[in-house]
Amino acid sequence: MVEKEPHILSLASRRDFLRRAGSGFGSVALTYLLNKDGYFAQAAADGGNGLLAAKQPHHPAKAQSVIWLFMEGGPSHVDLFDPKPELDRLAGQPMPESFVRPFTANKGTANNTLMPSKRSWKQHGESGIWVSDWYPQVARHVDDMAVFRSCYAEGINHVGALCQMNTGSILAGRPSLGAWATYGLGSANQNLPVFVILREVKQVVGGPKNWSSGFLPAAYQGTLFRKDGSPIFHLKTPEGITDRQQRSKLDYLAALNRFYAADKAEDTELEARLNSYELAYRMQSSAPEAIDLSRESEATRRLYGLDDETTATFGRNCLLARRLVERGVRFVQCYSGSGQGWDAHEDLEGNHSKMTRSTDKPIAGLLADLKARGLLEDTLVVWGGEFGRTPFNERGEGRDHNPWGFTVWMAGAGIKGGQVIGSTDDIGLRAAERPCHVHDIHATMLHLLGLNHLKLTYLHNGRSERATINGGEVIEEAFA
Amino acid sequence: MKPQKKVAIRPLALWVCLLSLLVSSAASSGKAPHEPFSPHQRKHWAFQKVQRPEVPAVRHSEWVRTPIDAFVLAKLEAKGVDPSPPADRVTLLRRTYFDLIGLPPMTEDVDAFLADQSSKAYEKVVDRLLVSLHYGERWTRHWLDLARYADSEGFKSDQTRPNAWRYREYLIRSFNSDKPYDRFVREQIAGDELWSNDPDANLATAFNRLYPDEHNARNLVQRRQEILHDITSVVGGVFLGLTYECARCHDHKFDPLLQADYYRLQAFFANVRARDDIVLASREAADRHRRQLVAWEEKTAPIRQEMAALEEPKRKEILDDLIARYPEAIKEAILSPSEKRTPFQWLMYYKVQAFLDPGSYLYHAPTQAVVNQLKDEQKKRWKELQSRLDKFSDLHPGELPIGIGIGDAGREAPRTFVLSGGVYDATGKEVEPGFPTLFDPGPARIVAPAGMESTGRRTALANWIADPDNPLTARVMVNRIWHYHFGRGIVDTPSNLGLSGGLPSHPRLLDWLATEFIRNNWSIKHLHRLILNSNTYRQASLHREAATQIDPENKLLWRFPRQRLEGEIIRDAALAVSGLLNPEMGGPSVFPPIPPGMKASWETTQDPAERNRRSLYVFIRRNTRYPMFETFDLPDTHESCPRRDITTSPLQALTLLNSEVVLEWARGFAGRVLFSAGFDPDAQIDMAYRLAYSRQPTGDEKDAALDFLRRHRGVIAEHAAEGKKLVLPLMRPYNVDPVDAAALVDLCHMIINSNEFTYRN
Repeated sequence: MVEKEPHILSLASRRDFLRRAGSGFGSVALTYLLNKDGYFAQAAADGGNGLLAAKQPHHPAKAQSVIWLFMEGGPSHVDLFDPKPELDRLAGQPMPESFVRPFTANKGTANNTLMPSKRSWKQHGESGIWVSDWYPQVARHVDDMAVFRSCYAEGINHVGALCQMNTGSILAGRPSLGAWATYGLGSANQNLPVFVILREVKQVVGGPKNWSSGFLPAAYQGTLFRKDGSPIFHLKTPEGITDRQQRSKLDYLAALNRFYAADKAEDTELEARLNSYELAYRMQSSAPEAIDLSRESEATRRLYGLDDETTATFGRNCLLARRLVERGVRFVQCYSGSGQGWDAHEDLEGNHSKMTRSTDKPIAGLLADLKARGLLEDTLVVWGGEFGRTPFNERGEGRDHNPWGFTVWMAGAGIKGGQVIGSTDDIGLRAAERPCHVHDIHATMLHLLGLNHLKLTYLHNGRSERATINGGEVIEEAFA
Repeated sequence: MKPQKKVAIRPLALWVCLLSLLVSSAASSGKAPHEPFSPHQRKHWAFQKVQRPEVPAVRHSEWVRTPIDAFVLAKLEAKGVDPSPPADRVTLLRRTYFDLIGLPPMTEDVDAFLADQSSKAYEKVVDRLLVSLHYGERWTRHWLDLARYADSEGFKSDQTRPNAWRYREYLIRSFNSDKPYDRFVREQIAGDELWSNDPDANLATAFNRLYPDEHNARNLVQRRQEILHDITSVVGGVFLGLTYECARCHDHKFDPLLQADYYRLQAFFANVRARDDIVLASREAADRHRRQLVAWEEKTAPIRQEMAALEEPKRKEILDDLIARYPEAIKEAILSPSEKRTPFQWLMYYKVQAFLDPGSYLYHAPTQAVVNQLKDEQKKRWKELQSRLDKFSDLHPGELPIGIGIGDAGREAPRTFVLSGGVYDATGKEVEPGFPTLFDPGPARIVAPAGMESTGRRTALANWIADPDNPLTARVMVNRIWHYHFGRGIVDTPSNLGLSGGLPSHPRLLDWLATEFIRNNWSIKHLHRLILNSNTYRQASLHREAATQIDPENKLLWRFPRQRLEGEIIRDAALAVSGLLNPEMGGPSVFPPIPPGMKASWETTQDPAERNRRSLYVFIRRNTRYPMFETFDLPDTHESCPRRDITTSPLQALTLLNSEVVLEWARGFAGRVLFSAGFDPDAQIDMAYRLAYSRQPTGDEKDAALDFLRRHRGVIAEHAAEGKKLVLPLMRPYNVDPVDAAALVDLCHMIINSNEFTYRN
């Protein structure tokens, strides 16, 4: 039985928070009078944003932040991190009877012949981990990486699989892992959003459900930065409005919102909206600097590939991610190929050549940069998609979705680098040794953040819900 | 190249697919060997004929105002939950205004309502709003979400699609005139065949013309197939509430829909082509126009002939070059004589024709491009001729209004095949147009309309959907109306009433409403009246702990669900309160200012009044939506959206706090307050509250506001003493103290930002 943790925020304690933050519903006017002496401004600055105030982890955290490099659409593990000589041997043959045919996303592709990888493979680093020639620069960092080759999930199609990789469930509605982490730890920088999503040109399939707060208070949902122009618009106070004036206005707005919420304390959305203004105000002073990539040296910009059109988009997001975690942002997701860019059903060579070219240098640059700045020690970098791809072909030159076995790797904070964990079967279809379910990946990530996935619960509809639903085991061997 | 362009796939549908694959054939287990569907599938509630249920008896019958209340109360009583007391009158009035017209009540509306002590005071308001022309604007926006409406093509080039807005105007007219929904449905699907002489009926078919389109794709066969996929899934979801797209690659794993059924539905549209030249004028007007045009043409013939001769070689070069880039089969389709073209070749021909027709917005050799390539001498001559031609411009009748839509390419349609994996060239067995096998396994009976180059296929589909006996159509639509009023449908997946959709919270109510809808000539306004006049709708939104314990998600509707307003409505409300709203209706889309530094194809409308039109008229570019709306969850227009997300983010706060556009609203608002309330802060605060919140401030609120003005004045005075620019009301009396006025702007600005302003309570 899970004990009631301080993390379980009941209605009553939310009320407490509002009172603590200086509202005291019966006496909003009084609050306002206190406020004018800067009482509330003070409270707001040092965590008036109560839901997001920094909280103690369950155990000492190895990771302060997560950068999750999300290859949306499903990168092919058997062409990147999981070489399968047996596939070469069986090339052009149907899958041997010994492999149970899975029910595939596209009808009957499991009856298609096996397709060997066209890549050339090499062992890298001291650890000698295999990486294909699609990721030459990423390969230089294998000694920092734990490569989980035996991941598996339930989602056979993108929307469900994306949703599961983010929320643990293929059905929309649960909180995303970033929301859980935010709920558990609060913010280390009250001046920036705690949980940020960076995408490329298109929408992430499924949209905001992938960074939703689900049944957690709305304050924990992720913030999607813009893709074009500036990541955040309207960071500047309009001309003619001074900072003191802005602060004074916001104090009045807070008073207005408290009057309105006086009999609506249960509505976390109202509360989140109130808090979002305080955060917005603080972002005005912090965010312009945080998102200003022109402050980076030419060498750093090159390191991430900002000088090359192919790599510039993802590189910019990786660099932005580094700047954000450097400033205490807890959880950053960078989607590569948002809108299912990695979904190579037909032309794996063409698709993955392009996708790997656009990500190889930025990822390698990010790892090198984090390391050089000493940030890798407490930043967990996660790479993966919502699933992998099948060993059998689809339409001759493509591969179908493979949620039964695929690769995720992690590097940085507390991860023992240079190791491979688990394996898939001989053809890379299913997780074989040491299978790692999505829940296990989530439990492991939370563990590194100092959170015990069994203790991080939230009472919802009479049930103590957790990020890993009814599953999840921490993958201990991943840790240094 | 991927086999499927993912834009045509709807995420919701995908997870349904995925779910289905997971449980594999759980749903179809237990079926007999020759029986395609299980009893479980056949018995699903949504596939049963709608029967009118008895209105249930309730203990507290005094609470029943319309039969809706009996259905809701019966459930509440069964669970031992009391309904909430009625909302206060102002809350109810604002709720109703936002719901029906998307604008807040004006102060005089509030006063009149509060003064009307008659028992029918509220019903009168509902009736009045239902005849307000703004009603059509509000409800058109809901339909645009479903119709994946945008003013541009999508894909990489995302070119403007001119005249798309004419469909929006059609919708406004249709909702305002309470067009019977069965007629509306028929118009959407087959208006061109059924009422070929009615411009509006032709324009209605734009519903199926609003697909995202990669118009410059070379593979026209694939492009046609992607459009058909889009139409199939949109029609299936919007009118029938079925996730047809799950059956694109295999039989639907939950619903009794075969893969063949997907293509049987698609076959109704097999002969569809875009029509971007629908003349929106009466026959007389069109004739008059033609006569005038002929006169102009005769007068200018020599000039234009000479111009054409100059242009022709270049033009031919450009167009030949275009044609040369198509695959052989396409070239053959366009170059072969018309009597020899197959139906499929006709479709290809029309696709290319859009680039060859000087009247088309996609015309590949527009005059300017051609003239730019002329040599100096020729160009000079051409310009001379042009200026001579210009002298006749008074005689030119101008352009007739043009709408977009679809039509058939002829009386014979190309064959339709089941496609393996939905891939355009992976053809399997041939199918004929047909309804779901569950209802009718045979091919649909199709009669080509007399005297028209059309197959009649869509008419057959439209008639089947709009038939009162169709078990889905009315249920789907009444559920949508319910969803837009309460924020959640009786079925909470409004475009999925199938086995994987939500279960109805009040199934008998849903059926009762469906029969009521049909009995009342499919009148949407009748449904509004039933809903709005109910006590269910009039409840307060306040939280009650005891009820929460029993029904935490308020599925039984023991209170009215509070909801943030859509971004468009927040903007409209602020414009209205600020006095800046330009209420003019209709016309092409407008481009209000975008944030500085934004890179987008966006030419801001110069006329300030035009910028301040209602949000409905703001241009929607598929790849770059208006940022204010995008931040507030305007749906992606690549797919039909039955239910919007509602998020809260600091980026929304930054927009309303710092955008110059929003500040301008506050300046307008402050000006109104100044002119109507004078210089007394007490009166100003009263007025600001009345305008924005439709009520008087409480004593505490008044104190807080007065205190703010006093303190804030000090902050601004310091600032002013340094000689800095102040943000002042747009209009202000000459003798107002600038510091006071600036403080008032800020008060108004915060009111616009406040939760009370942005929520429908």
